[in-house]
Amino acid sequence: MRPAASVLLLTTLTGFAYGLLTWLGLYVAAGAPPAARLLVLAGVGVSVILATLGLIASTLHLGRKERAWRAFSQWRSSWLSREGLAAVLTYPIALAFAWAQYRAPGSPAARSLGVVAALASLGTVYCTAMIYASLKPIRQWHNRHTAPDYLIYALFSGATLFALLHTLAFGTAALAASLAALGAFGALIAKLAYWRHVDAQSPIATLASAIGLPEGTPARPLDAPHFTENFILREMGFQIARRHAAKLRRIALVVGFALPLLFSLLAQLGTFPLASSSLAVACAALGLLTERWLFFAQATHVSALYYGRTV
Amino acid sequence: MTMLPQRGTEARKMGLVIDLDTCVGCHACAVNCKEWNTGGEAGILPDYDPYGEKPDGVWFNRIHSYETGTDGCARTVNFPRSCLHCENPLCVTVCPTGASFKRAEDGIVLVDTDLCIGCKLCSWACPYGAREFDEQSGVMRKCTLCIDRIYDDSLPEAEREPACVATCPAKARHFGDLADPDSHVSKLVAQRGGTDLLPELGYRPTNKYLPPRRAQIQTAPRETCGAAGQGIGGALLRLLDKALSR
Repeated sequence: MRPAASVLLLTTLTGFAYGLLTWLGLYVAAGAPPAARLLVLAGVGVSVILATLGLIASTLHLGRKERAWRAFSQWRSSWLSREGLAAVLTYPIALAFAWAQYRAPGSPAARSLGVVAALASLGTVYCTAMIYASLKPIRQWHNRHTAPDYLIYALFSGATLFALLHTLAFGTAALAASLAALGAFGALIAKLAYWRHVDAQSPIATLASAIGLPEGTPARPLDAPHFTENFILREMGFQIARRHAAKLRRIALVVGFALPLLFSLLAQLGTFPLASSSLAVACAALGLLTERWLFFAQATHVSALYYGRTV
Repeated sequence: MTMLPQRGTEARKMGLVIDLDTCVGCHACAVNCKEWNTGGEAGILPDYDPYGEKPDGVWFNRIHSYETGTDGCARTVNFPRSCLHCENPLCVTVCPTGASFKRAEDGIVLVDTDLCIGCKLCSWACPYGAREFDEQSGVMRKCTLCIDRIYDDSLPEAEREPACVATCPAKARHFGDLADPDSHVSKLVAQRGGTDLLPELGYRPTNKYLPPRRAQIQTAPRETCGAAGQGIGGALLRLLDKALSR
């Protein structure tokens, strides 16, 4: 599948945004100190800005941007519609939560709104993940890893951001950095498990089945319908060299997960906490963008069978 | 509305039956489809760089040729690929705007291009690669089963069929109601063992493909060059061959 910049930015930025909002909500629900009033306010601000940037990025790939509002209508059947609706509903929840926590820190209203904000955030990320997980023709997406993985990456990236904000507010990253380190470790394991799973999958279907011949009939392409590329090949037939992919996987593992784990641990131990937690965020962002690029580039689509590819 | 309509077992299922035995791979169906749907009101199929080095554009129908079978008895199978108007079309349910829909009355899957936002998710959801994006108008395009021909009362009744069916010189394409067991298309499917494409994915396509038949005429193996080298004729041939190859 062609890795479109708009979708990579959308899923990565909203991962940070909703991950951060989840942690802020849980932080307040668990009894954040009154001194954290501004931290929560600023955190919700950062989350809202990142989510908005991500959602704007997502509209860039639309053929008819001016009609984007129509995407809220089909929530009964479409995960994309549900994602849009969940993202929009999360705005007033986030703002109400920030306002309640600012006006009356630690009040029951603020605490319960914190839980609601966390649930709305995770719900939005889940909807995003299900857009991919529900697509049967793409075996690398339509599996039991996709939805939990998106939630894990959001919680991980949000925790690195939470640790950075906590360091900016109080000079130490404390518990937040432990969460980020734990998140990085969880994300690393999840990514390795995902690659292990997709690498061991067998092809979804054969060319014989795609052209209606009995299973096992040998078939190979003789003539393609056209000499040049077309939409199907550009969008669904994206290919990446195996060696190139292996290199990018190593980069994603080291930059996206191992380095943030290291920097979060350093921040937790109080070693240059500001620099460490900043580096953890920067590495997580770069690594997750790489990981997301691979999630698309290495995904194969059944329709490419007709052009002689293995899927 | 991208929820699938409630369709009883008696609901009409208009679709195509494509005979892979007689299809000669001439691309006439694709060309006539392009012609009709570019000129008609139902859709405009754009071309990008049509006379340049990399011609490209939107087609509802594309013809592949494959070689099947094993060494010694391999054969060519020409395979026209277009929308199958599935009973379980994921392309419809993933649509966030309601632009993609399946008609309750005849099962035809359509795109309302006035509602489409061009997110391309439907093309990702189709395993058959039947939907193509129109870069010029920013919306998704797909086969309409020539809905502007099949219900057009101003056309003579014999012409109320999709452009691809009307033009096929090999009569390899058939159009009709696949829910009606007495229809011409249903009988063909029953007689010839018509099959679904990618049944394992569960889309329940309406269109059926008739598999290639085994050759009915047995021909004697052709004499090979080696076998022709016997007797006086063979000697003469060798002589001629020598003379010519000097």
